[in-house]
Amino acid sequence: MSFFKSLLSLDYFGADVLTTLTFLPTLGAVILLFVSEEAKKTIRVVGLATSGAVLALSAVMAVKFDATLPGISNFLVDRPWLPRFGLRYLLGIDGLALALILLTTLLSFCVLVYSCGQSIAKFRGYVMAFLVLETGMLGSLVALDTLLFYVFWEVMLVPMYFIIGIWGGQRRIYATMKFFLFTFIGSLLMFVAILYTANLNTKTTGIQTFSIVEWTRNSASGAWGLTPGVEALLFGAFALAFLVKVPLWPLHTWLPDAHVEAPTGGSIILAGVLLKLGTYGLMRFGMPLFPNAVAQFTPFIAVLCLIGIVYGAWVAAVQKDMKKLVAYSSVSHLALVVLGLFAANTTAVAGAVVQMIGHGLTTGLLFLLVGVLYDRRHTREMADYGGIAGVVPITTTLFVISMLGSVGLPGLNGFVGEFLILAGVFKVDVLWCAIASTGMVLGAIYLLTLTQKVFWGPMKVKANQGLTDINGWEFAGALPLIVLVVVLGVYPAPLIKLVTPSIDAMLQIVSR
Amino acid sequence: MPAFYTVTGADFAAILPETILALLGLLLILLDAFARPLRSTFPYVALVGVAIANVMGHYTTGAYFAGAIEVSDLTKFVEFLTLAGVSLAILGGETLLARDNKNQGEFYAFLLWAAAGVILMVKGGDFLVIFLGLEIMSISLYVLAAWYRELPASVEAGMKYFLVGAFASAILLFGVATLYGRLGTTSLSKIAGHVQANPAIGFDPLLAFGLVMIVAALGFKIALVPFHGWAPDVYQGMTTPAVAFLSTAPKAGAVVVLIHILAVTLPGALGVPWQPLLAILAGITILFGNVVALAQRDLKRMLAYSGIAQMGYVAIGISTFTQEAFEGVLVFLAGYLVTNIAAFLAIGALSNGEKESHPLSDLAGLGRSQPMAGGILALSMLSLAGMPPTIGFIGKFLVFRAAVDSGFVMLALVGVAGSIISVGFYLRVVYMLFMKDATREVNVAPDDIPSGAAYLLAAAGMLALGLFPSALIDFARSAASSISLL
Repeated sequence: MSFFKSLLSLDYFGADVLTTLTFLPTLGAVILLFVSEEAKKTIRVVGLATSGAVLALSAVMAVKFDATLPGISNFLVDRPWLPRFGLRYLLGIDGLALALILLTTLLSFCVLVYSCGQSIAKFRGYVMAFLVLETGMLGSLVALDTLLFYVFWEVMLVPMYFIIGIWGGQRRIYATMKFFLFTFIGSLLMFVAILYTANLNTKTTGIQTFSIVEWTRNSASGAWGLTPGVEALLFGAFALAFLVKVPLWPLHTWLPDAHVEAPTGGSIILAGVLLKLGTYGLMRFGMPLFPNAVAQFTPFIAVLCLIGIVYGAWVAAVQKDMKKLVAYSSVSHLALVVLGLFAANTTAVAGAVVQMIGHGLTTGLLFLLVGVLYDRRHTREMADYGGIAGVVPITTTLFVISMLGSVGLPGLNGFVGEFLILAGVFKVDVLWCAIASTGMVLGAIYLLTLTQKVFWGPMKVKANQGLTDINGWEFAGALPLIVLVVVLGVYPAPLIKLVTPSIDAMLQIVSR
Repeated sequence: MPAFYTVTGADFAAILPETILALLGLLLILLDAFARPLRSTFPYVALVGVAIANVMGHYTTGAYFAGAIEVSDLTKFVEFLTLAGVSLAILGGETLLARDNKNQGEFYAFLLWAAAGVILMVKGGDFLVIFLGLEIMSISLYVLAAWYRELPASVEAGMKYFLVGAFASAILLFGVATLYGRLGTTSLSKIAGHVQANPAIGFDPLLAFGLVMIVAALGFKIALVPFHGWAPDVYQGMTTPAVAFLSTAPKAGAVVVLIHILAVTLPGALGVPWQPLLAILAGITILFGNVVALAQRDLKRMLAYSGIAQMGYVAIGISTFTQEAFEGVLVFLAGYLVTNIAAFLAIGALSNGEKESHPLSDLAGLGRSQPMAGGILALSMLSLAGMPPTIGFIGKFLVFRAAVDSGFVMLALVGVAGSIISVGFYLRVVYMLFMKDATREVNVAPDDIPSGAAYLLAAAGMLALGLFPSALIDFARSAASSISLL
């Protein structure tokens, strides 16, 4: 009994839970350094054990999470890092971060489970890259010191660069370089903006700090005394870094390349988590810090979002490559999420957050299942498939559920998010809502067409007759996600309840 | 006031580290002549001596030899950097030179003398001592540049470096002579006295002219644009462990001397002609170095241009001219030192030897077959690019932060633009190592214990200092605080 108590006290060896959560994956990667490349079984065990432990820890955190605490103060850690510069090792989470942490740990675990069912060359390095990537993602979600956040934000870049560049397809080098450069340009401008903001904060308040909590408070109280021009520039630099990551039209061009070339696992994490970190960054940093600039930029960004929604959907509709289609559908869906954020009312923002989680699950699933087919046939052209529903019934079933979730069928999670966003946007501007809705209609068209072309119709290609169905590992990777797609579609209330305080806190500052 | 300064034991104690290094060099030459079978132990003899020199340097502070030698936390910082650099170069260089039987005792001797020169140069409280240190350093490096005397490329490197270096020395002397003609002294503290008594003297044409000469001469050593022309050829022809040292500690020494001289002659602030001038120099150096590095296909030439660009970031710190900026510059230099030496050692190991060129394409596929050297090279590229959590990021953070705090946001933005460009060639190395299959057989150097130790130390330097930089930053802070800005 006392053992379980100490397990739940989340205080292991004096290390706090958020540090453990963040660096446990890296520990696994370091252990893998000493495992032979040939020992596939050991690599598998270490990888699964580490990411499984991280998942379990995040689940325990969810149980222990205290929703009554104000602000971002759960599991708070505050230690000096470079105190002379006001830099602190400041970690803490709120409901929003917790929801995304759970998504991250779950997807990371599922990706590794799924990858065990595939024959991947240089498997040790592959697992190591994903574990380091997990540290970067979790660190970005728990960091409350802006510079610490920036450090984790950049740390994510390197493993992803390797994942696309080593395990990617034909044009992987082009794709990974493009991914790296786009993200790097955005984040370096944010870096200068962070330095400027820190200096501004020190000059106006006399307190040297990089804490986002303090910054948000000082910004909201007007202590910074920002002129509109400077505020617009600072917001622009932050927003650029995050909107490249989202990615919002016209900054999206790296995404289709990265997705098409990335290995399946890379695509799942990229679409499932990394894109959401862009919207998370907007909610946590970009928007609350510069509320006036947000108001000023909203019409502009809304137009970009509307273009993105329709453009992404149109382009997805004409794709012949399954992965590219799903990639462009992400451009469209994420543009809707950003539109929801900038609509800045409770309904729309809650919808955006639900959609962030929902899109992570459904798009992760779609990439996973496309990966299952690709692994067997080594082609992603829709024309190379057709009529395989009878050959691979389980894959077909899973694909249809994920696809319907992505389309927004009531009863599955995609519906909840999209409906809330559109309802919220409607209150702000009917025209926006109308245009955004067309994206949803187009979404149904291209996703249904994709399913129809791949799984139904006549079987034109002989090679598909011998197609084997999803194997045990792959199924084990997909199952938790499918279950969540259904559960969160039927009963999204716990998720919405979890994130509502965070949304209210943000909207108190960024109100229209 | 006595007519003659009486030299005491304390004076000699102040230059003990340099003395030890110089004698150690002599010892190694003698050992090589009379105890050649012991050659494989020379690096360890040298390392022990360097360690002793390092310890001996900690006990004195203040002005000695009538102010000709000034020992402060600043000189101790550079001394520590130089000794760390020379240790790494010796530790990792042994294997590389032994491949060609070029590991004579003289090699270590000249490295140690060059290090002694760097240390003497930064301790100089008088232009003549600065010049003396600079020459000891330079002449040793000229010899090292031409170490492979049977190779035309190496001789060319030595000759070029010698001619350009001699030219720079002449310019430095010309500048010092001009200053002497105007103020009647070569002592930095007396010049500081003149300037304080008459602040307007900073704008005196003769003084400004002399200062321009001195900045230009040191600019040659640092390889700032437009004084950078020698760097690519010298780097390419010089043997790799020697370049590892040449590209780091001497540059750090010259930067510190430059800051010291500027702080003495232009106290408080750089003022109008100097600040924009240095800022423009910094911007051009960053952009030029990074853009030209993109076009390089030889690793050592690429790192030469990368080194030029890195010194541009240092120049941002110099032109910002605050205590905080100097602190950032020192941390940046420390990070650059460990990173660049690691990169050169790994490049030397991942090549067909010092007698052949080091084309980028030779790295193809080596990251997998040589995980240690390959990993170190990749890590050092990320550190040079300024990616967190490496020390390269911390250095850039401090320099950019100081620039932004002083209102030079444009300079930080230029620096950021340079970083973005630099990713193009730094990541090309990582790509070659890990994402491309081998195109030809490369006869790499074996991973032995000394080079493994050098890699381990370098990796620790890049990562541990990047994650926990406070000790280094505090050291740099106390060092920077001994630069009096009034």
